[in-house]
Parts: sequence; structure tokens; C-alpha cells
Amino acid sequence: MGLEAARIVEKLTDYLMQVTVGPVVVSSVVQLSGGAIQENWALDVDIRKGEWAGRHELVLRCDAASGVATSHSRSEEFTLLKTAHRAGVTVPVPCLNCDDISVLGRRFFLMHRVVGTTAGHRLARQPLVPGLPYELGQNLARIHTLKPPLPALSFLGDPPPHPAAAAIALYREYLDALDVAHPAIEWGLRWLQVNAPAPSGAVLCHRDYRTGNLMVRDGRLVAVLDWEFAGWSDPLEDIGWFCAKCWRFGAHDREAGGIGDREDFYKGYEDASGQSIDRKAVYYWEVMAHVRWAVIACQQAARHVSGEERSLELALTAHVIPELELEILDMTEPHHA
Amino acid sequence: MRELPSGAGLLDIARDVLREDLLPALPEGKRYQALMVANAMAIVMRQIEAGEGATDVERTALEVLLGFAETPSGLNSEMARRIRGGKADEVDVWQALHEIAVGKVAESNPKYR
Repeated sequence: MGLEAARIVEKLTDYLMQVTVGPVVVSSVVQLSGGAIQENWALDVDIRKGEWAGRHELVLRCDAASGVATSHSRSEEFTLLKTAHRAGVTVPVPCLNCDDISVLGRRFFLMHRVVGTTAGHRLARQPLVPGLPYELGQNLARIHTLKPPLPALSFLGDPPPHPAAAAIALYREYLDALDVAHPAIEWGLRWLQVNAPAPSGAVLCHRDYRTGNLMVRDGRLVAVLDWEFAGWSDPLEDIGWFCAKCWRFGAHDREAGGIGDREDFYKGYEDASGQSIDRKAVYYWEVMAHVRWAVIACQQAARHVSGEERSLELALTAHVIPELELEILDMTEPHHA
Repeated sequence: MRELPSGAGLLDIARDVLREDLLPALPEGKRYQALMVANAMAIVMRQIEAGEGATDVERTALEVLLGFAETPSGLNSEMARRIRGGKADEVDVWQALHEIAVGKVAESNPKYR
């Protein structure tokens, strides 16, 4: 069972009164649509005293009751948001993290509420705004300015010496845990193994930087969301993931995430980073993107088929696998002898 | 003999009712789910119409490559194992996998590309 609005009002008011040492009013608590893994609640907080005095429009983010294990805990996600925010990345401003489960029964954090749309199918049908892919490129470059080692992000572990090789090994492990073999995905992994470029230095990668996780309003980026897969990797992994055809929401000729021109995105990235993007190596990482999405799709399908989590969305994801396989094969056609 | 319309025909008309009559009457928050239901029905329709054609193509292609007969699951496992081991990098393997993928996409999402 999920949290209830009334309980959030009561418990959060008490907690914030302790933290701010003054009167606090929590109001307008509404649950936002969100994943099965986290719950998000919109709420307004009026603080009467101290450095945070004023009215704040916030989101409370906590683990869902079902508690599916993810790579990062809420407090790690909070730290990632804080670090990214300081690096100039457009994110919801993180406010307060609470690891004390006696407050709400689970860990949570508060962040500023941003308004806009993330819906990929909608963004892919809107008129082109050239400034948007440029801005998305700039923002990604800012994420990539964060380089290991960073003490605050020690929970990310050591950067892999060869991110592509690490990804290939991990996806093979994931495939081996499934009941059914997938030769076309194996073909893609084999191609990735044979064609792996020399690694560039690892940076902080978002690892899910794509249309659908980027909140936009009036043609401007207002928030990069969903940091739960962030980790040290090759910066080209994020660029390939963002540009890959499987994340264009049907707008296949808009190669920057279905919302604009690839070169506008590249220019934003190159202007902000001062580094040029190796176009050929991006192609490699776009193959990797399709393989990664195909492996995740297999895992999601298996969650439904095994009965672990009955869901039409997961069931339909199984039927995305063939087009991903076809794309992988088309991208890796061998040269005739 | 079964009455007409067949299973695929029933799904076809049921899907029309869902999309044309029910969908516009649904609240915004339920439209995505209804579209998913319509999509699932379309995939089933195409699978019924295709019969075992695509599965037969897959089995034959893999049997030719591997040189023995097996269950579809066994054939896929062996093919995957050979590819991973670097023992199936040839053009004819790619061609077979491509033919299989084209057949599957014709059922799952024929509008792809």
C-alpha cells in the first residue's frame, strides 16, 4: 500500500518544524503519476521562519511500497542531483534528504517542483525548436565535466577501465539469466566486442539521458530527470543513447532524440565541452544503445512472463524486441567477401 | 466448422469498437492503457493471420545453419552459443538472422521503418 496524503501532511509537518525550528504548513498533497519503483508526491510547503522562510512548491520522492531494488538509493539519487546541480546541469533543485525511516516509513527527499512535459510521443510531433537540441547537448556536456574520483560519488564505485567491455560482459550475464536465447542480440554483442574502440576517459554518465526523461516547457529544457542509472562510463555512451533510433519516438529523421537535428545537439555539446565528438565512435555506441535496450526489454518481458509482475506494458515490451533486433542487424551488416 | 467471423475477424471488429467508440469517451489518464490494449489486439491478429509461417522460416533457417534438427528453443540456444564464441561471424548467419527478424517485425510492428 502506498503512502496517503493525510499521513504525509501530518508527519512531514512535524519533521519540517523540527528541522526549521518554526511553524510549517504542508498543503496540496497530490500523488503524481510515476513508475512502479518510486512514488512522487507534489506538495506545497510554507515555512514561516529561518533561512528557508517562504512558500515552496516541491516534490517528495520516495521508494514505492513494492520496493523493487534499483541501482541507487534515494539518498544516492539526492547526492547525484546535488552534484549535477552544482555543475550547472538543469535539474530539479534538491532541497532536503531524509534517511530516517521513522518519519514516513521510508527514505525520501524533497526537491523543487518543475512543470513541463516529458512525453516522447508528444515532443517528437512538435515543431522543431533548434535551440532545444543545442541546449540538451550543452547540458549533457556539463554532466560529463564531472570526473572520477569524486568523494561525494564514491558509492558509484571505481570507473571501469574499459566501459564498452564492461557493458558487453554485463549484458551477456543478463542474457544468460533468461530462459530463452536471443541470437540476434548475441550477434550485436559479438560485433560490439570485435569493433570496440579504444576507451576514452570515464566521466559521470547519466545512462538514461533520452527523450522521455527530459522535461521540456515552451521549447526549453527545464529538468533532467531519472538519475537512477548514473555511473562512470564513456561519455559517448550517453551521446549514443540519446541519438539512437530506438529513442526517437517514431520521428526517425530527427536524429537528436526525435526532437531535432543531430548536428545542433552535437554543436551544443562541443561548444560547452570544448571537445569534438568522434562521429564514427557514436555509431558504435548507438549499436550499444539498441543492444542495451533489447536486453532490458528481454528482462522486462521475463518479469511478466514469469508471473513476477503481471503488466500489459511489460508484456508489450516483449514485442519491441524484434524491431530492436532488426535495427541491430541492419547496423552491423557484414561486408560481403 | 467454426462460425465466421474467425478469431482474427472478431479481434478486428472489437479493436474498432475500442478505438472508435470507447477511446474518445475515456478520461485522458486512461487513454494510454486503451491504446496498449488496442496494440496487443493488433499483434494477436497478425499472429493469427501469419499462422506458423514465421516460426517455420526461423526453424528451417537455423537448422540449415547448424546442420541438425532441434526444438526452436534449442536451435536458438546453440546459435547464440556459436555467435558468442566467435564461430558464426559469416554473412550467411547474418542473412538468416535478418530474415528471421524481418518475419517477427511483420507481426510485432509492420510499420517499423
